[in-house]
Amino acid sequence: MPFSPGLVHTPLTPFAANGSIDFDLFAKAIDFHLRHGAEALAVQMHAGESVSLTDAEKRRLIAFAVEQAGKRAPIIAHVSDAGTGIAASLATHAQAAGASAIVATTPYYWTPPPAMVLEHFFQIGAAVDIPFFVLNAPDDMAGGKINADLALKLIARLPNFAGVVDASLDWQFMIELMTDAGRARPDFRLFGGTELLVSAAAVGATGLFSALAVVAPRLVRGLFDLCRDSKFFEARPQQEGIAALRQILKPGGVAALKAAARTMGRDCGNPRPPLLPLDPAAERKLAAQIAASPSLAAEPRGW
Amino acid sequence: MQNKFRGVMQSPVTPLKDDFSLDLPTFERLIDFHVRAGAPAISWPHHKGESLNLTIDERKLFAEAAVKVVAGRVPVTIHVSALAVEDTMALARHAQDIGADGILAITPYFWTPTLDAIEAYFIRLCRSIDLPVLSYNSPSYLNGVEITGDVMARLIDTLPNFVGVKEASFNSEKFLEISRAALALRPNFAMLTGVEFLLPSVPLGGVGSYSAAGSICPNLCNELFDTCVAGEWGRAKELQYKMTRLWHLFKDQYPSSLKGGMVIMGRPVGPTRAPLPTATPERQAYIRAQLEDLGILESEPHGW
Repeated sequence: MPFSPGLVHTPLTPFAANGSIDFDLFAKAIDFHLRHGAEALAVQMHAGESVSLTDAEKRRLIAFAVEQAGKRAPIIAHVSDAGTGIAASLATHAQAAGASAIVATTPYYWTPPPAMVLEHFFQIGAAVDIPFFVLNAPDDMAGGKINADLALKLIARLPNFAGVVDASLDWQFMIELMTDAGRARPDFRLFGGTELLVSAAAVGATGLFSALAVVAPRLVRGLFDLCRDSKFFEARPQQEGIAALRQILKPGGVAALKAAARTMGRDCGNPRPPLLPLDPAAERKLAAQIAASPSLAAEPRGW
Repeated sequence: MQNKFRGVMQSPVTPLKDDFSLDLPTFERLIDFHVRAGAPAISWPHHKGESLNLTIDERKLFAEAAVKVVAGRVPVTIHVSALAVEDTMALARHAQDIGADGILAITPYFWTPTLDAIEAYFIRLCRSIDLPVLSYNSPSYLNGVEITGDVMARLIDTLPNFVGVKEASFNSEKFLEISRAALALRPNFAMLTGVEFLLPSVPLGGVGSYSAAGSICPNLCNELFDTCVAGEWGRAKELQYKMTRLWHLFKDQYPSSLKGGMVIMGRPVGPTRAPLPTATPERQAYIRAQLEDLGILESEPHGW
C-alpha cells in the first residue's frame, strides 16, 4: 500500500463574507494547486483552519476535494481532534469518501500519558486501511510531540502506519526516527512539515507538506525538486528565499497567510474567529514586503 | 579568507584521578592523541569537559597545558563560560595571555537574560580581548535563551572579532535564521553545530562542529565531515545515522558515558565529578556491546 506523492500542498479554506465556506472558490483553489506543482493535497491542515471547522464541514470538504481533484491527484484527509473516537470516525468517513491517506497529530488540549497518546494514534490508524501519517508539530500543539519510540510501537501495531510529517525541525528526532523506523519498515516515509526542507531531506525526508505554496508555488516546487535530486548545496538560495517568506508570515499566522494569498491575487477571505484578520496597515506592510522580495517575482498572480 | 575554525573540532574530556583531582599527564596525552588523530582544532573545557565542575584556577591550569601540548599544530580555543560573568572575563583575559587562538562563550547561565542583556554581554566580552570570539547557542539547555539572527547580525556589525557560533539548537529554522543573517554580513563567519550534526547543517552554510564522540571515534568524525563537504550525500547519510546512534548512546549521563566508553577504547580517563555519575561496570558493558554492534572497535584507534 505505498503512498508515493512527494510534494503535498495544504490549501486554505476560503470563507465568504458571512463566514460560510465558499466552495466555488475552494474548487478554484484545488485547480490552482494542481496546476502549480502539487502532487497531492492535504485537506484541511492547520493552515486550512481545520480546528475552526465543524465535523460536518470537514466531512464535506474532504468529499468535495476528492471529487474536485478527481484522478488528477490523491487527497490526504487531516483528521486530528481532541477525542480519539471523533478523530477515528472522521478517518473512517475520509476513507469512504475516497481519500487516499489520512494524517493526524497529538490530541488537542489534553496531555495524556505516552501510553494513551499511542492508543490515540492506534485507534485512528486502525479505523482505516489507507496509509496513516502522524503529524509531529510541537509548535502548534503547545509542545505536544512524538518520539522515535512511539513510532516504533505504532509500526509494530499498525500495518498502515506509513510515515511522519515533521514540523518540529528537530535534527535529532528526524535522524533517530529514520534510523529506527527505516529499519523496522523500509518504505517508512518522512515528510517535511514546513518548507525548511533541506536539512530534513538530507537526513531522509522524501516529501513536503507546504502551506506557503498558495503564495509561492514556483519557489516551493523548485526547492522540492532540488531536494528530491539531493542537490542540497544548490537548493540553498531557494531555501533561504522561502525561509525569508516564512519569517514575514510567521508572526501573523493564518491571518498573514491569507493576507499574502490575497496580495498574490488569490483571495480566500479572512480567517474565522477566534482569529482576527490582519489590520489594514499590517496587510499593506506585508504586501510591500512581498512586492519587494526578488525570490517571489516569478510567482503566479491570480488563480 | 576561510575561517580557521572548521571541521569536527575536538573538545577533550577532563581526566581525573580516582580521588577526583586533575590528572595532568593523562590530559596531556589526550590532547596529543586528538591532534594526532586528525583534530582540525582543540577546544577545552566544554560541558563534556565538566567545565562547571572545575574551579577557575583548575581551568586556567589545564588551559595552559592544552596550549603548550598542542604547540601551534592546530588552533586552540578556550571555553570561558562560567556561572559568574566576572569569571568569564578573567578566563578570557587568561586565554589571551597564554597564547590561545580564540575563545568560546555561551549565553549567560541561570538568569535567562533578555536579548539586550545578551548583546551587551558579548559586546563587553569581545571588547575585552583581541582574540577571535565564538558564541555558543544552546536554547534547549538554557531555558530557551538564545542569540537570534537579528542580535547575531548586530554583533557582527559591531565587533570585528566576533567570528562564529556553536549553534546547538539542532533545529533547521534556528540554524538557518542565524546563518542567513550572519553569512550575508560576514561570509567567513563560522557556522558550527554543537554535536556532530553535520549533514543537516553543512548544506545551510555549516562549516563544522564541536565533537561529542570524538574521543571514541575520531575517524568517523573526520570522514563524516569530508563526505558532507564533498556532497557525497548517500554515504554522508549512512555515517550521520551511525554518528547519531553514538550520540544517543552517550547523551544519556553525558559525559560519564563518554568516559566509560573511553575505557573500552583503551584510553581511560578516570571518574566524573559529582553531581554527575561515573559510569558503572554494567554501563560500560552496555556501551561496549553498542560499540561492537556499530563496528567502532574495528574502525577506530585503540589506546593512545
